[in-house]
Amino acid sequence: MKILRLATLAALAGTCGVAAQEQVTLRYMQLSVPALEAERPVIAAFEAANPGVRIEAQAMPSSEYWRSLSARAAAGDLPDVMAMSSAFVQQWARAGNLSALDEYLAEVDTGAFYESALGFGQVDGSTFAFPQNWVAPVLYFNKDAFDAAGVEYPTTAWSWEDFRAAAKALTIDENGDGRPEQWGFWFDGRYTNVEPWIFRNAGLLLTEDRAAIDPTPEAIKAMEFLVSLVMEEKSAPMPKDLEGIRPQDVFGLGMAAMWVDGSWQIDNNRQVIADQFEWGMSEVPLGPDATEETARVYAWADMLSVTKDSAHQDLAWQFVLHMSGPGRQASDFPGGKVPAYIPVAQDRAWLEEGMLPAEKSLLLEMGGKAAYSGFSDDWSAWRGYGASGSGGMNGELDEVLNGRKALDDALAAAVAYGNDILSR
Amino acid sequence: MSKPHKASNLSTLTMLYLALGAYGVVTLMPFFWMLITSFKIPADIFRLPPTFYPSKLFSDDPFGNYSEVLGNRNFFGYFLNSLFVSTLAATGQVITCALAGYAFARMELPGKNVIFAAILATAFVPTEVTIIPEFLIMRGLGWIDTYLPLIVPSFLVGSFGTFMLREYFASLPADYGEAARVDGARPFRIFLTIYLPLARPALVSIFVIAFINNWDELLRPLLYLNTPSMHTVPIGLMSFVSEFEADWTLLMAGSVISTLPLVLIYVLCQRYVLQGFAGGGVKG
Amino acid sequence: MVSARDLRRYAPAMLFLLPAVAGLLLFRIIPIIWAFALSFAEWRIFDQVKWVGLSNYAHILSSPVSLQVLGNTAYYTAIYVPGVIALSLALAVLLNNGLRSSAFFRGAFFLPYITSTVAITLTWRWIFSTRFGLLNHLLETIGWTDPPAWLADPAWALPAVAIVAIWKDAGFFMLLLLAGLQTIDPTVYEAARIDGARPWRRFHTITLPLLSRSLFFVLILALVRSTQTFEITYALTNGGPNRASTTLSFYIYQNAFVQFDMGYASALAYLLCFVTGLVTLINFYFRRRWVYE
Repeated sequence: MKILRLATLAALAGTCGVAAQEQVTLRYMQLSVPALEAERPVIAAFEAANPGVRIEAQAMPSSEYWRSLSARAAAGDLPDVMAMSSAFVQQWARAGNLSALDEYLAEVDTGAFYESALGFGQVDGSTFAFPQNWVAPVLYFNKDAFDAAGVEYPTTAWSWEDFRAAAKALTIDENGDGRPEQWGFWFDGRYTNVEPWIFRNAGLLLTEDRAAIDPTPEAIKAMEFLVSLVMEEKSAPMPKDLEGIRPQDVFGLGMAAMWVDGSWQIDNNRQVIADQFEWGMSEVPLGPDATEETARVYAWADMLSVTKDSAHQDLAWQFVLHMSGPGRQASDFPGGKVPAYIPVAQDRAWLEEGMLPAEKSLLLEMGGKAAYSGFSDDWSAWRGYGASGSGGMNGELDEVLNGRKALDDALAAAVAYGNDILSR
Repeated sequence: MSKPHKASNLSTLTMLYLALGAYGVVTLMPFFWMLITSFKIPADIFRLPPTFYPSKLFSDDPFGNYSEVLGNRNFFGYFLNSLFVSTLAATGQVITCALAGYAFARMELPGKNVIFAAILATAFVPTEVTIIPEFLIMRGLGWIDTYLPLIVPSFLVGSFGTFMLREYFASLPADYGEAARVDGARPFRIFLTIYLPLARPALVSIFVIAFINNWDELLRPLLYLNTPSMHTVPIGLMSFVSEFEADWTLLMAGSVISTLPLVLIYVLCQRYVLQGFAGGGVKG
Repeated sequence: MVSARDLRRYAPAMLFLLPAVAGLLLFRIIPIIWAFALSFAEWRIFDQVKWVGLSNYAHILSSPVSLQVLGNTAYYTAIYVPGVIALSLALAVLLNNGLRSSAFFRGAFFLPYITSTVAITLTWRWIFSTRFGLLNHLLETIGWTDPPAWLADPAWALPAVAIVAIWKDAGFFMLLLLAGLQTIDPTVYEAARIDGARPWRRFHTITLPLLSRSLFFVLILALVRSTQTFEITYALTNGGPNRASTTLSFYIYQNAFVQFDMGYASALAYLLCFVTGLVTLINFYFRRRWVYE
């Protein structure tokens, strides 16, 4: 009874508090439903700290996020705060949909955030998106397979030749039918598989101003190296032979002993591998044309933007900062998402000691190096991503890896197609 | 409708059943696989040779994938939402198509053929392009984040249904209506009490087809529904196949759940469906 | 001028048509005209509208990718339309036998049509898988040592999409044709049988002509459907490999919702409408040559 009365009192007090202040609703859109669910407590904390403020949180399946968001932009119906990716921030900022955050940033201790992550939100010298966390491709390897083949684990000192030799030694065709049960390595034409090698060889696909595609000799060399692993060494499969398996499952199912992909795949690896084998991660080997100084770390960030039409700019920014920085804990970022706010990233809990991979601190080291995101206008079209994934450079590279086209021809076609899109 | 002649000869009958059975395997196999997969654990999916053994069914937690999908992934909520939207949209389409089909077949109005042609011709325009102007209209009406954009357009326009009902009503004898009119019945009464009941098979068929189409609709729910708790089943299914979170076993459990009501509706209505098509524009 | 008498005379029809006409205007005609206007604009949907005259149309005709996509669309239609009509006709004829069990088979054959497209297409994706799929597993068992990589081979990907679409839609068209078959008077067959006509001849001289109205309806529906295939492509091949299975409606989708290039997408859509409309008109023109009224 007493509890009930207390609750009534509390409710009354709450109502009065709200009535005294102006009631404000901020609309917030996150990239996927699970991502939003994970953020619920943090959102609630913001509401608790700001009486009178209500956050109306929304989310879409991540594959449909941009489609849904662009229709809203067309109708002038964007939320106040929305998830923004490195791949799209240029276009959205230049179209005038996002607020410049420079004034707010002047009041923030930006030194507490990864500099490279902050850089991903900058367009034409201004900041239009603020990072929550960042990710980067790494080299995953199957420790059990390495042990069985008697190969030393990869190190950051590995050269491409070391990698080539290991991939060869790890390719095992027990029954000799020409279809190895275990491949040394596997990859296809996707950006997360190919670009890490290009950037670690100091190569670039885009020109300096990112207005045209013009692969540098270092970039072409990296692609030639990858193609040779399939066509000559036969230590990586043709992508067509793995059709029907989700790319993120190949390594986890033990079909390939090494794999280069985004650090966010740690989650999926844990799920698929469970306790079937020991695995770890290392950095993608440094290319023959690069030094640690000229090589770039390929990385990008999950960010938040304030929309230009929002009626509550200041409040929206406070919310962004809360969701990105001190409001978060290490446990909000399991797996391979590195908090952009350094104190949270350096919290020992983030390393998840006792879980695989044991090398998560590697990501923190990578965070200190110069990063490059490699995105441009119309990136998804020319690179071949999402619903355009079968076209662009992705489609051409897969043709090469499936043995149907020479790399020169494929690159020429991809460059011509991409530049046609970029010039429109 | 007349009864077709019966196949009688034994060898003909054997051949017939062989052919039907063979294609039956072709149509049912993917569903069988869907069902089996929904009772598997993720590690079973890519076994070689493919395994038909539903390992989860014989574990401690046989319906684990289903309880995960219905409970934790909120499919139960999506399911109710889809049921609500599809039922209303399909009911509305039946009403509008019946009214329009009847008017086109049995009533006089200058220019009605132009309207009829417009209803048919506009069905050819792909949704991908009209969807953006449509979105702007819905926003103008203040309907974003409600179910109205999913229900009202389907409620008001159905090309296939209008066409079918026009033919259906035209195929019914005109004398019934004439007799009633002589007795002084109003047009709406004639429609409601005489022709509508006769058209029941066609109405049921249109309901079934419209229900299926609305149940499967992905583009509009994605654009119009912001609030996660309002999402429909196809959005829920899509969230299993997006790049980072795909899961075959859950996807298949969700697919089985999403197919069940459609199978149920078809089974309940099947004797009308064939009849409805037969009386309509597809008369031999 | 409309007189009061006319008004009274036409009022019921007007009321009956009111909902349909309202819907037609608001959700069909207005968006279509709007989109037509956009086909003359350059509009990234989150950006400003810029009028560019005919340049979208000019770009379609000069771009190798668009021409490839147009070719794919024609190829797809050439597989899908004859395929789905032949299969659904065969199924309808087989089921038109008066046997009690045919209701079961009818349901089984209709089942693909009523399943969530995305879900069942993903199941097919597994069936088509090069090394792990049921289909190639069967083919290897019967001795084909190196069966095709269905979804990863440019020569097979588009036929694979068509196969799934035919498999999915045949049940629907089968019902339409079966309904048509059941209105044919069986005494006609009896007469032919007494005259000694063989089954093929009965099919050719009785079934086909008497079913021609239904067949025409099915032909038009199949044509329209073949130009609008989207979800199956999306979930099965994503238009690949290297765009080999990208048809026009999928390409429109890519332009509209990946590149957000709404003007270009609208121009492509109007090209699609134009082609579909033309093919439909041609069919209507030839209708009297073979459709038995």
